[in-house]
Amino acid sequence: MHALALLAASVTVMGAVMAMTRRVAVHAVLYLVVTLLALATVLVMLGASFAAMLEIIIYAGAIMVLFVFVIMMINLGQPDSAREKEWLRPRAWCGPGVLATIMCAELLYCLNPPSGPAPAPITAHDVGLSLFGRYVLMVELVSFLLLAGLVSAFHIGRNRVGGR
Amino acid sequence: MIGHDVFLPAPLLAVPSGIMVMLAATVWRRSAGRSLACAMVTLLLALAVVGRHTGGRPDNGDSLFIQDRWTSYTAALIIFSTLCILLMSWRDRGHDGTTRVDEYSLLFMLGTLGALAMVFSANYMPFFLGLEILGVSITGLATFRYRPVMAGCEAAMKYLILSGVSSAIFLFGTGLAYGVTGSLRFTPPVAAGGMPAALPVAATVMVLAGMFFKLSAAPFHMWLPDVMEGAPVPVAAFVAVVSKIAIFSALVRYFGTGAQPPFLNDIVSVVIILTIMAGNLLALRQTSLTRLMACSSIAHVGYLLIAFLCPGHVQSGAITVYLAAYAASTLGVFATMTAFASPDGPDGTRIAQWRGLFFSRPFLASAMALMLFSLAGIPPGIGFLAKFEVAATGVEHQRDVLLCTLIIGSIIGLYYYLNIIRIMMTAPLLPAHPLKRHARPELAALVIVLTIIVVIGGLFPARAIHPLLPAPPAPPGLPDGMTH
Repeated sequence: MHALALLAASVTVMGAVMAMTRRVAVHAVLYLVVTLLALATVLVMLGASFAAMLEIIIYAGAIMVLFVFVIMMINLGQPDSAREKEWLRPRAWCGPGVLATIMCAELLYCLNPPSGPAPAPITAHDVGLSLFGRYVLMVELVSFLLLAGLVSAFHIGRNRVGGR
Repeated sequence: MIGHDVFLPAPLLAVPSGIMVMLAATVWRRSAGRSLACAMVTLLLALAVVGRHTGGRPDNGDSLFIQDRWTSYTAALIIFSTLCILLMSWRDRGHDGTTRVDEYSLLFMLGTLGALAMVFSANYMPFFLGLEILGVSITGLATFRYRPVMAGCEAAMKYLILSGVSSAIFLFGTGLAYGVTGSLRFTPPVAAGGMPAALPVAATVMVLAGMFFKLSAAPFHMWLPDVMEGAPVPVAAFVAVVSKIAIFSALVRYFGTGAQPPFLNDIVSVVIILTIMAGNLLALRQTSLTRLMACSSIAHVGYLLIAFLCPGHVQSGAITVYLAAYAASTLGVFATMTAFASPDGPDGTRIAQWRGLFFSRPFLASAMALMLFSLAGIPPGIGFLAKFEVAATGVEHQRDVLLCTLIIGSIIGLYYYLNIIRIMMTAPLLPAHPLKRHARPELAALVIVLTIIVVIGGLFPARAIHPLLPAPPAPPGLPDGMTH
């Protein structure tokens, strides 16, 4: 269990370092996806399977799609086919592929659970109870944080358009 | 389960309610003036209920929020400062041709909410959320400067990235602290049995680094002049006053007022020396008044940290008075800057524009001189007393090195503060060009009120000193309300 967690953690760190050092944004996004998947694995091993699911659904899923969308939007100019050929050379996807294979192997190994005391998983029911029980004020504060972000983004976006 | 018995300090209820009303008013019809008025009414309401709370006060010490005289005092200071800042921007809105800027006061209110959440927090969670709400609001507010279009955006970008980095460091420290203690209570972690001793130290240092970043203490101070210069003047005042008071209040809450552990003592001493020297030396060559105020604000954080590091009889009064003196004098300088600015003339951010002000607008120049005297620590203002008290805390503990730094820093400070007064007294180059005066009664009133506070505080100091700080062990039940 310990070795598996360390393996997943090192894949996380490697993916993060590679994501920071890539020059092409799409390549960095590939590494970032692997990082997020490995992070979700670490969370599962800590017993936080609900957080791991959220990590995959929201970050590796929704936000990465948004990233790719924005990259496509702001990289206008060259013809699409040439650009995509440039992006998807084997050199680009080899590294993330290897890291993803490691994570996949770990997943397959874990399918038959090892003996020993595993931490009781935290379910969506538990999370919901504490979110809307003890921490209900924090949920409200988070909503104000989102409101602040929304108003700021709205203002900055409108400001730039108006400034031209 | 949800509706009843949730312990919540009343200002944290009043300010969000005001924000909701402002949003509803925005939906109905967008009007910057109505938003601003609504924000002011809300803040006055919050100021009135600052010592109250809803729900029962939990006994087990495991609550999310806390309320005692220290929170009431700093919350009142924050709300009062925001009121002054909103008053400063009363006539300034729509100044550069944009008409509908009602999100301006909305963002100020959100920032105040974040600051209040930090002040009242007894748990890492509300503190971090408050920190982020404040940070995101300031990012938005910094872009309100139109004249050089890129200036505001550059300031916002710098603030966004650096505040993100510092939040990440803080979160890492929080995670380590949770790993050590298994609880999110807002106190420094103490190693339990079987834990390596380095873990709580690392956690504490990371939390401290995150806080110092926001407080702009020395190794992390470079962002403040840039951000304040790029932001509009009221927003610069907000960054310099409200966010610093909030962070400092939480810092005192986190580390308590007792003697600090030795490693912390060493780190904070080095940070204090670096902060005072860096702030004062950076201020020497500034030509922009906003940048100069930013550097002076860095130096004042250093002076405040001396009082934080020296527990004793004097400490509580020293911190209380220093926060009030710093807030009043800094707000006074910024209010004078706003009153000096005119839409078609100088905006008051360059020091050279202040030349000959004693001849053209003597009232404004005298107020400015008084505020600068107070910041420099010269008797008529409350700043003298505050600096005296801080020095007394250092003397009580024989902190010779820190005291020497305080004295050297104050002497350097005299140079650049008095330099502004010298420039204001220099005869103007051109024969006085009568600029079109704009009657701004609200700014005149604001400057007069701040001047009275500074003078009265300086002349009758005994009423200003109250032991407001939380006692070293967690206070079981301090009386509500503030004792002014």
